[in-house]
Amino acid sequence: MTLTGWEAAFFWVFAIAALVAALLTILAHNAVHSALFLISTLVAVAALFVLLGAEFIAGVQILVYVGGVMVLFLFVIMLVNVGAEERGGEMLFNRPAQVATSAVFLVLLSLGFIYAIRQGYEGLLIRDNLSMQGQRAEAANRRRTRQQNLRPAATGTSRISEDTQLVGASLYRFAALPFEIASVLLLVAIVGSVMLARTARQEAATDDLETAEGE
Amino acid sequence: MNNLIASTFALVWQEAAPGRWQAIRQGVLEPDLSKFLVIAALLFIIGVAGVLTRRNIIVIFMSIELILNAANLNFIAFTRYLQDTGNLNAVAGQVFTIFVIVVAAAEAAIGLGLVIALYRNKETIFVDKIDLLKW
Repeated sequence: MTLTGWEAAFFWVFAIAALVAALLTILAHNAVHSALFLISTLVAVAALFVLLGAEFIAGVQILVYVGGVMVLFLFVIMLVNVGAEERGGEMLFNRPAQVATSAVFLVLLSLGFIYAIRQGYEGLLIRDNLSMQGQRAEAANRRRTRQQNLRPAATGTSRISEDTQLVGASLYRFAALPFEIASVLLLVAIVGSVMLARTARQEAATDDLETAEGE
Repeated sequence: MNNLIASTFALVWQEAAPGRWQAIRQGVLEPDLSKFLVIAALLFIIGVAGVLTRRNIIVIFMSIELILNAANLNFIAFTRYLQDTGNLNAVAGQVFTIFVIVVAAAEAAIGLGLVIALYRNKETIFVDKIDLLKW
């Protein structure tokens, strides 16, 4: 699997954008800035998904994360007090010893990751070159012909992706039970967050208890 | 262990073997699966750094979202790899990514509800001030 031509150029643009925005997310003083940089990261990763041929997931990522989760984050940031950090009166990070320890840990972690990726990828290439040298070229060829056979879009300049169709079909065919469990999980999350976020007065009203103020 | 050290050092101080620049140029012009894995690993590490070092609990939640996104990027990259090496209809990684996004949304809703409840009781969102269980 290799990206070529413009795809490669866009890969580097979006990969570097995602990394820089992610770094700025954890370095920003203002929590609202952090949220905006996180949105940039998520959009850049969605663009990488498009490059990888997962158009539906890219759409879901933008709709759910950027449209839903990040709006929730911004709401909560504005509900709680973040003024102290902005004025510089509060420390942004933990104590220096803790930060130094985590830096050491992270350097070790990244070295381990790089080692694992090098070794694992070489092994993967060896396996695939040994077992499916012919199949690989054939699969790439099939992919290309399938993309050329897609229906053209109304503008005539692009083609309609069949990714959504494929994902939807296998979601209901092979993952129907996890799908239902996920819907129950979302229901539990809705009820739980409402339960957690209610005020003392609301809590007393529903539980039929007296509050401390004797209301 | 010896192999690990040798490999990481070789990564940093690789001697100029013939054709090495050619290989690097090839890797930049035609990024393959390993580039996606490295990008995802870096996103993951940035997320872990945010969780370990920041004091603001909301930024810690954002870092967790970064970690989940790194995992999603891996899933999608491997899906594409499988599609290009074998089965054209391999979309298991994409289906799994949908579930990861669902769990992330649920986690964000519950976590932010917790933050609001905590702020109401403790008047702070800094994790080192929340030490109720510490003696």
